[in-house]
Amino acid sequence: MAGALTGLKVVELGEMVPAAYAAKLLADAGAEVIKVEPPGTGDPARRRGPFPGATPHPERSGLFLFLNTNKLGVTLDVARPEGFDLLLRLAAQADVLIHNVAPPVMDRIGLSHARLSEANPRLVMTTIAPFGLSGPCRNWRAEDFTLWSAGGAAYLNGWPGRPDMPPLKTFGHQAGLQTGAHAALATMAALVGRLRGAPGQHVEVSGQEVIAAILEMNFAYWPYAGLVAARYGQRPIQPLDFLECRDGWIFLCCVEEHQWRAFVEVMGSPEWAGEEIFSDRLKRAAHWDALKPLIEPWVREHAVEELYRKAQARRIPFAPVSTMGTLLGSDHLKARGFFVEVRHPEAGALKHPGPPARYSRTPWELRMPAPALGQHNSEVYGTRLGLPASRLRDLAQAGAI
Amino acid sequence: MDKPPLAGIKVADFTWVWAGPYCTLQLAHLGADVIRVESKTRVCVTRLLPPWPEMKPGGVNRSGYFNQFNQGKRSITLNPKAPNAIEVAERLVKWSDVVVSNFAAGVMDRLGLGYERLRQLKPDLVVASLTGYGESGPLKDYVAYGPAQVPLSGLSSLTGYAGWPPMHVGLSYADPNAGAHAAFAILAALWHREKTGEGQYIEMSQWECAIQTVAEGLMEYQMTGKAPERNGSRDRLMVPHGVFPAKSELVLMGMQIDAWVTITVADDAQWALLAQVIGRPELAADPRFATLEARRQREDEIEGMVAEWTSQRRAAEAAAALQEAGVAAAVCANVKDLSEDPHLNERGYFVELDHGEVGRRKHAGIPWRMGATPCAVRSPAPLLGQHSDEVLRAVLGYSAEEVAALRAQGALE
Repeated sequence: MAGALTGLKVVELGEMVPAAYAAKLLADAGAEVIKVEPPGTGDPARRRGPFPGATPHPERSGLFLFLNTNKLGVTLDVARPEGFDLLLRLAAQADVLIHNVAPPVMDRIGLSHARLSEANPRLVMTTIAPFGLSGPCRNWRAEDFTLWSAGGAAYLNGWPGRPDMPPLKTFGHQAGLQTGAHAALATMAALVGRLRGAPGQHVEVSGQEVIAAILEMNFAYWPYAGLVAARYGQRPIQPLDFLECRDGWIFLCCVEEHQWRAFVEVMGSPEWAGEEIFSDRLKRAAHWDALKPLIEPWVREHAVEELYRKAQARRIPFAPVSTMGTLLGSDHLKARGFFVEVRHPEAGALKHPGPPARYSRTPWELRMPAPALGQHNSEVYGTRLGLPASRLRDLAQAGAI
Repeated sequence: MDKPPLAGIKVADFTWVWAGPYCTLQLAHLGADVIRVESKTRVCVTRLLPPWPEMKPGGVNRSGYFNQFNQGKRSITLNPKAPNAIEVAERLVKWSDVVVSNFAAGVMDRLGLGYERLRQLKPDLVVASLTGYGESGPLKDYVAYGPAQVPLSGLSSLTGYAGWPPMHVGLSYADPNAGAHAAFAILAALWHREKTGEGQYIEMSQWECAIQTVAEGLMEYQMTGKAPERNGSRDRLMVPHGVFPAKSELVLMGMQIDAWVTITVADDAQWALLAQVIGRPELAADPRFATLEARRQREDEIEGMVAEWTSQRRAAEAAAALQEAGVAAAVCANVKDLSEDPHLNERGYFVELDHGEVGRRKHAGIPWRMGATPCAVRSPAPLLGQHSDEVLRAVLGYSAEEVAALRAQGALE
């Protein structure tokens, strides 16, 4: 069956996460994505890992394999004039070109909407830049953590009551994933607009601005109240904390009074629970130092699953601190058929996260694994662009593909 | 002025709290006409939460939390328990192209607004439903709360200081993650509808959506038999990589607000540049530091040297000096830093519109720009039920008398 975006043609110049994730969302929904990588080294995500047995190998990087499912892979040196010409020819046949080539590099190689729209006026070109394409920080360099910090997320994470502990990175490449998801939705909006009469156009996405947009209630504290949300503030409500069970960690979450009352019953209504200093959620937070040690021994006697089930049976929204092992083994996720095994010729069979959203008519599907470096050069350049074999050989010899 | 890309797309917004409203905020940013259905009998919790102007609580229209994530939408109120409210909701559905909800599994069905009914009303609707655990599977009726979705996703087990317990990430991150992915899925479905005339149902589990964010951890676990260990802000392939203390001049309510600068060194060449900037050029070629492997052996020592330099400077100065030399760095911004960030302000990122109860306040704006179909926040977040009359009359075609009768019956509470 066809995906929602079957027939949509996308060219991606992605390095690491943001553009590659945006293009993955399009590809997994059915679009045809041609991923363009530099000859020789390829996308830096190929060097990032993780690797089987922790041994680096450009075709076995877990990050790359996740981000590039369902894509055709070609190599092209877009910094060379003959390479750039080929990029224009790819763009001429596409609906979308999405990239995160750094702004100073865009300037140097002449990658601009003006040039691409000459080749294809209907093209939607999406530029993902760390700080956007204007302003004093336009040309600043950024890793993922740079943007997670510059957008205000890193400052918010720390240990309640421990101002001596620094702001903390969240695992992985979260700035890149969020920027990619937002770039994908903005790109899709431009495409829907095009079907409704808008021309092709340039879409620009700033990583810093994406992160600044997802800070929950925290950003408003400054303009509303002149306050700065601090990472080490005690939580205003308790229990809302991590506790250790016999075999792992659980997140205790009693936001409402009825949830706390139910939890007290689950604990067998111990006497201390009736103390005045624990009588509402604000008091429980103010006295969490006293309350937590009373709950801890009881929690520690339980297995995570057991306590999770007991709490949820009483409508208390506890959640396990899932590990990679418990996620992959989850009966619930299995019953929903969530994880999808993908066989890759170099990396073997690996379970990938399944659909972030399930479409009733146009199924989400992992049709093929991430491409090997240059795997589809002859198919794309030969069959689709119609370049003769001799020309392909010349380009390869010159190092352009 | 040119129209935004989703001009003419109509959204019936049955969402609340954060994940759903974050999804429909994207659609409003893109120019869709979003009508949020609220209830005075069960007010959205974000209307009741801080921050409020000058931290004075009161009313349901003054929360910065609600006002941030509902910009550009209209609000009507319906009492789901009133007999005629469903008829109003059905007229709204018939008007719309997209219906979004994020109530617990089964609630829309119980309200009489399950997908089967919705598509009887309008066959080519795009309907998106976000739930915590999804609408099938043994845990489908489990209760999901924003803060608990982060540990559930697996992120907490991978995030934390080295040797410390699992940690939160500082916000209910699974919510905007689900909201953004939902907006994408809705747009993909709209693209399909424009091509084929077919609507469809989009079912989303916030949990599954959040698992996308730990894919690297899942890969590592399968490839090596071990999950990545919690390791603060350090990175295997970049040393140094972290936050470093900076000079702080901000005191609020008698408390010194600390300041940090984030610095990452991606390779040996950047290390040499960093060494120059911090006034230790001899370290560039020093074999104890010149290579990644060497730096990994001396990470504490290196962090100490960098901190010594950063702690004598303001974060913005340190970041600018490093960027000038070509090293990735930025202020580890608190919300005051963000609000006053010269770069974001010069780009016109923030939105300040006149709001009936909070006046002009800065809100985070739209993180993209479009050349041909410019996007803009056209109105501040609505007051509760601000547009009930306007929508019932002008959009749904009720007469003034009918609206008065509905109000008298309590349907518009």
